[in-house]
Amino acid sequence: MSKYPLGRALVRGAFVSALAVSMMSTTVLGQSVDLSQWSPEYVRSIAGTETYNTAEQCGAVTPLDYEGKLTFWYQGVFEGDPDLLRQYYKDFFEAFRATYPNIDLQEQALTYNDLLDKFRTALLGNAGPMVVRLQILGGVEFASKGYLQELSPEDVGWKTEDFWPGAMKSVMWEGKAYGVPTNNETMAFIWNADIFERAGLDPERPPATWDEVVEYSKTIHDKLGIAGYGLVARKNAGNTPYRFMPQLWAYGGGVFDEADPNPTYGEVRLDSPESIRALQASYDMYVRDQSVPVSALTNQQADNQPLFLGGQVAMMISHPSDYNVMLDLQAKATGADKETAQTVIDNMRYGLIPTGPDGRRAVVFGGSNIHILNPEYVEGGEVDEAAAKAMVCFWTSPEWSLKMAYAGSNPGNLNGFKTEWMKERLENIKFLDVTTSMLPYGVPFPTLPETPEIMNIIIPDMLQNALTGAMTVEEAAADAAQKVRDVTDGGGL
Amino acid sequence: MTTITGQLSAAPEHIARRPNLLRQMWMSRADYLYVLPAIVVMLVVIAYPIYYTIDLSFFKTPPGLQLRDKIFIGTENYSAILSSSVFWKVTLNTVIWTLASTLIAFVLGFGAALALHRDFAGRAILRAVLIIPWVISAVAASYIWKWIYHSDFGVLGAVMVQLGFLDRQPNFIDNVNSVLPSLIVVNIWREFPFAMIMLMAGLQTVPEQLLRAAKVDGASTWQRFWHVTFPHLRGVSTVTILLLAVANFNSFIIPWIMTGGGPSNASHIWITHIYELAFGRQRWGVAAAYSVLLFIIMMVLGYFYVRALSGNESKEHGA
Repeated sequence: MSKYPLGRALVRGAFVSALAVSMMSTTVLGQSVDLSQWSPEYVRSIAGTETYNTAEQCGAVTPLDYEGKLTFWYQGVFEGDPDLLRQYYKDFFEAFRATYPNIDLQEQALTYNDLLDKFRTALLGNAGPMVVRLQILGGVEFASKGYLQELSPEDVGWKTEDFWPGAMKSVMWEGKAYGVPTNNETMAFIWNADIFERAGLDPERPPATWDEVVEYSKTIHDKLGIAGYGLVARKNAGNTPYRFMPQLWAYGGGVFDEADPNPTYGEVRLDSPESIRALQASYDMYVRDQSVPVSALTNQQADNQPLFLGGQVAMMISHPSDYNVMLDLQAKATGADKETAQTVIDNMRYGLIPTGPDGRRAVVFGGSNIHILNPEYVEGGEVDEAAAKAMVCFWTSPEWSLKMAYAGSNPGNLNGFKTEWMKERLENIKFLDVTTSMLPYGVPFPTLPETPEIMNIIIPDMLQNALTGAMTVEEAAADAAQKVRDVTDGGGL
Repeated sequence: MTTITGQLSAAPEHIARRPNLLRQMWMSRADYLYVLPAIVVMLVVIAYPIYYTIDLSFFKTPPGLQLRDKIFIGTENYSAILSSSVFWKVTLNTVIWTLASTLIAFVLGFGAALALHRDFAGRAILRAVLIIPWVISAVAASYIWKWIYHSDFGVLGAVMVQLGFLDRQPNFIDNVNSVLPSLIVVNIWREFPFAMIMLMAGLQTVPEQLLRAAKVDGASTWQRFWHVTFPHLRGVSTVTILLLAVANFNSFIIPWIMTGGGPSNASHIWITHIYELAFGRQRWGVAAAYSVLLFIIMMVLGYFYVRALSGNESKEHGA
């Protein structure tokens, strides 16, 4: 007799297939990387099979002796990133300057949570940079307002087929491309096997469903008095939607129909029974069972990392880079803390993000895109097109799109998976297989100008309203759904 | 009759004053030229933004449109704000935040100033220590306090549990009821040294001979404070309270960094809400309307501040 019901298996299979088809779209046949074969084994088989010369390739777009000037803002490393990534960012700008010695580059790094606000403000004063690298949910907002130039991979020497179709969707507005993906990632489920064992759970078996996450979290809290799941519900923080949306989609909910193969964003689903069930799961952990950190309402993932390392949180959702972050934090610890941290690192496990009750598995298809601005919104009123394209080409090259995503993400340019550095990365970055395995389950955020407000404010507000008891779960979901309707209708406070 | 006569007799005086004023201005034209650059700068950096904010408050600015494509909607933003439950919640938070922070910081500062006015060993060190919260960066202080209050591993909660005051870690900033008072404590801690410094300066102006005379006349410590010291501090107290009130109405760093206005808007005050509306949600028109309302309140406070300052000056000169 089968362990799982046949109907459930079919639904699960159909959903995964639909998602995979959605991600791979019609361009799959022309792609240099065969996404239809995507698996950890396939990724390993192509790693290190090609060599690329970035200077030569970008030199064909912008001559290497070109003299010009470039202003560039990007989402840089922050406190939650590993030191390894800091070094790669440093290396990137050194390499760019060495390759294009006559381009006067003025770069500015901003954190994820500050970049959108600062960029919006600069644009209002026509004081933006020539080139900007934004989080994946930001591009459409600015493209729809006419701030960005049309820009496709072909403009900088690459092919559209060399990028994830889901990522290309995130730079499209009204059928035109306005940017090039630099990196794309999906997170994974992380747990502490030692805590599982002490709580009487199978240390090598993570929760398979979100309902099990709720159960495991309660078991761990009741037996050990520590937090089970590292819930994050802070407002105005990108970490919150990245952790709640997989849960929402897994239960069959959504803001709109963004998890469907061909979303239209026509119907708001935040108050659907499925969405309410997902919110109820968070409520059950925070209010009913009190099995997650009380500080979840003010915490970001960077706050959860030391809690996890201190053995005070058993499960969380994050990047593969969190393993390197743990190593960095452990190196700074002293005395007994160092030993505790080592125990946690030794027992750190990565797995697929749990499914919903009917087998849906989903994760945010995250990442960043690079864009060139229209001259009228740039400080000085001019864009050095050649210098801008040199930067876009350089960052989205197989080499640098891989290196800049070394620990926490994946190359936007799929050819990055074929490089020698990918081979090296597979050996050095623990648990990379798990996160690359999650890529086909990735769901892009809705490609709407209102998405940043929905994800960074309305979704966290909904969580906070429910978790603080300011509203019931149903009221919080209805309130959020109404806010989304208002926002997309151009109104609302 | 008397009134009419008065008016008739006053009118020619009024009419006669106008040419005098213009003539005086003309005769002082060089003075006006000296201050002209400053006036131009003020117009550019203050008057124009005020005009633009008022103008913007009558427009709708949807996220999908550039600001230049804004849609005129008359006073809809104002009516939307005033009919919004969030507005009243945020306003109540702002009033509580401002009144509690201002009054408690003033009282604590007053007490500290009186204590430090006396001469005792270690006074200079204590004075320097008490000034630290005021000179420390508000951003750094906010992060430190966030960890002190941390609902799972905060130092303050741990100490309370260790000392047996509580059974479990208290929830300071992740609770809708306790978050605002918790932030107010941080704000008071930051601001009371300012009140202390202002009042210590004021205490220097209390004439020693008056205090001695009152003592000779048999006045008690309280009577000397109430009838001699306090009247001399009335002016500086008014100014201090007004400055604190203005600063608190405009507070941003502490609530924004520590809670982002949450949970569930429980620590949103006007400035944080305006910031979120404008920069997080691109509701520039609504944010501008909020700002206009705040501007009116600030102007009222500013009027009292100027009046207080003028009162002090006239007293000084009149005496």
